[in-house]
Amino acid sequence: MRFMRFLWHSARLATRGGAAYRAWVLFLLALVAWGAVAYVDQLRDGLIRTSMRDEVSWGFYVGNFTFLVGVAAAAVMLVIPAYVYNWKPIKEVAILGELLAISAVTMCLLFVLVDMGRPDRFWHVVPFLGLLNFPRSLLAWDCLVLNGYLALNVVVVGHLLYCSFYRVHYRAAIVVPLVLFSIPLAISIHTVTAFLYNGLPARPFWNASILAPRFLCSAFCSGPAILIIVFQILQRTAGLRIQNEAIWKVAELMAYAMFLNLFLLGAEVFKEYYSATHHVVYLQYLFSGVRGHTSLVLYAWASVACSAVAFILFLIPATRRHFVTLNLGCLLIYAGVYIEKGMGLVIPGFTPSTLGEIYEYVPTLTEVRVGAAVFSVGFLVFTVLCKVAVPILMGEFTAETLVRPDGGGSSLAPEENLQRS
Amino acid sequence: MATPQDTPFPPSPPAESRREFLAGRAATAVAGALAVASLGGCGPASPPAQEGSAARRWGMVIDLRRCVACKACVASCKSENKTPPGVAYNVFIEEEQGTFPYVRRVAFTRPCMQCAKSSCAQVCPTGATYHRADGIVAVDYEKCIGCRYCIAACPYGARSFDYGHDYIEKAGNPYNEIPSSEYGASYGLRHKGGSPEGNVRKCTFCLHLQDEKGEYREPPACVRTCMGKAIHFGDLKDPEGVCVAHGEKMQALLAHRGNYRLKEELGNEPAVYYLPV
Ligand code: SF4
Ligand code: SF4
Repeated sequence: MRFMRFLWHSARLATRGGAAYRAWVLFLLALVAWGAVAYVDQLRDGLIRTSMRDEVSWGFYVGNFTFLVGVAAAAVMLVIPAYVYNWKPIKEVAILGELLAISAVTMCLLFVLVDMGRPDRFWHVVPFLGLLNFPRSLLAWDCLVLNGYLALNVVVVGHLLYCSFYRVHYRAAIVVPLVLFSIPLAISIHTVTAFLYNGLPARPFWNASILAPRFLCSAFCSGPAILIIVFQILQRTAGLRIQNEAIWKVAELMAYAMFLNLFLLGAEVFKEYYSATHHVVYLQYLFSGVRGHTSLVLYAWASVACSAVAFILFLIPATRRHFVTLNLGCLLIYAGVYIEKGMGLVIPGFTPSTLGEIYEYVPTLTEVRVGAAVFSVGFLVFTVLCKVAVPILMGEFTAETLVRPDGGGSSLAPEENLQRS
Repeated sequence: MATPQDTPFPPSPPAESRREFLAGRAATAVAGALAVASLGGCGPASPPAQEGSAARRWGMVIDLRRCVACKACVASCKSENKTPPGVAYNVFIEEEQGTFPYVRRVAFTRPCMQCAKSSCAQVCPTGATYHRADGIVAVDYEKCIGCRYCIAACPYGARSFDYGHDYIEKAGNPYNEIPSSEYGASYGLRHKGGSPEGNVRKCTFCLHLQDEKGEYREPPACVRTCMGKAIHFGDLKDPEGVCVAHGEKMQALLAHRGNYRLKEELGNEPAVYYLPV
């Protein structure tokens, strides 16, 4: 009953807001509608609406899925310093990482759904409901860990917000172990996703044991890049108090991760080009084109350039601490990793195909529209979660303030509660 | 159950190689997208009728010296299984090697290898792809979610996704009016929104031509049609097993002049052997 009341008031809060908030939500809803219409077409006509064919049987959808798993995994970039090293400035905002994880996993699951040829049978891959080919299929593993990670974050975030709403202390005996458990789980969602590609000897581009470490490194760049920008937006719009040290610390960690990411990329490039077996053809397709087919080349180099420039910006303390260059760096990282872990990973794995054919994949408008809708759903989830969580976090929205609309008079600062010491 | 004997033989589509498919795909994609759900009339789908005979391990021996590259195997497969555009159970692969005047043409047909250690069944998240007792790798359309992971995993490009493409734009083509008899099950007429659309499809060694005991009433379509008698098909488990079409002893063919399997290094253990040119 108390929980229903919490949900009810949260929902009411989420539907109210200033003009900017409403415009943003309406914009997202419009995008969702635009993409939903395209998805209905795809449902009716089949995946022929996309430009995926047997030569390149995964494309834009699965690329976005892969990238977003990385974003979801990045919550640990906040949880580790906050809980393992007990670093206070980050602990205050760690919950935002979990909110981002919830939205990112939601988008991942939606991307899997829209990519299915028979979405009417999706329940076959719902853990415990369907008949998963577990443990043989890595996709079955992925369904398990992604759903598990989503459930865990929902429970943790829900419990914390609920307790803060009623100004009671959260149950440390439940929350702390769950949060600690989310660290290996976050790493495992990305590792399993990497193994999904990695375990296919038919596709030499993915069949490299360096793939999972590369996934993790790039994930530890892209997720925090989003968070740093979100921190600043919430600082301005919702008055969230975030210390600059927290942002700079995250940026510093990103610099290390980006270094490792570029290093591992270099190791891969060396191995392929120096040994120059038949298998180099996939990397060639990515970076220089094969037999005149060069549709990925510009895209791939743009990714390398973005990542390299961002690395330098994050490495130099002066540019890391200056908010213009910091934000520029975040955008570059986002773009660089989006290409590298999205279509830059999926397409070269398929091109040339196992029969040596080259099919140049470029997504159709349907795919772009459906993708935009999925991203909008994710943004919407994140916006609404933040809309509710931030006031709770700041003690402006609790069971008491609802009784006394002036909102004053709190003696125990709820963020103390949220620090979960 | 429809077999070529009791159904009117549909006009064959042009025998296309993989390459020609590719060229044609872009052009027909739009038309396929516009195809409407007007076909209807399908009965409830039932799972594959039989699990095959455990006493058998069906396999192929393809003698490249006898192949004249006529691609009749591809055409007969299309008409037997009534596969839509873009879905190919077997493809014909051709390549020119060397420089003029020292050139030669390498050409061979590629069915599904029905691997003993198949990559496709390993990765399938729902177990829709499975191994029958007689070694044939089949897809249960009722379980397949269309994730296409198996296509990514198959080293031989032997799987096709049914994207919903159609020959329907070619007026008067009876292709869509005859149900496919694959798996010996009735999936009805292929129609929008019903299996096998949205599923992954593959060569089944024409298992719908087996009788209740799991023996072949008649050879698979490609074997039957091959004018050079290049494709031999029979039981690889039985040392005395003979080709169900031409009567040669399978093991003798393999021992005769050396044989190889494709991408042997991947460890899939295909049931399809090639005899060199
Ligand atoms: S050739 Fe491909 S589809 Fe056929 S059994 Fe082997 S892995 Fe599966
Ligand atoms: S497409 Fe179907 S058969 Fe292939 S892996 Fe997915 S569920 Fe299995």
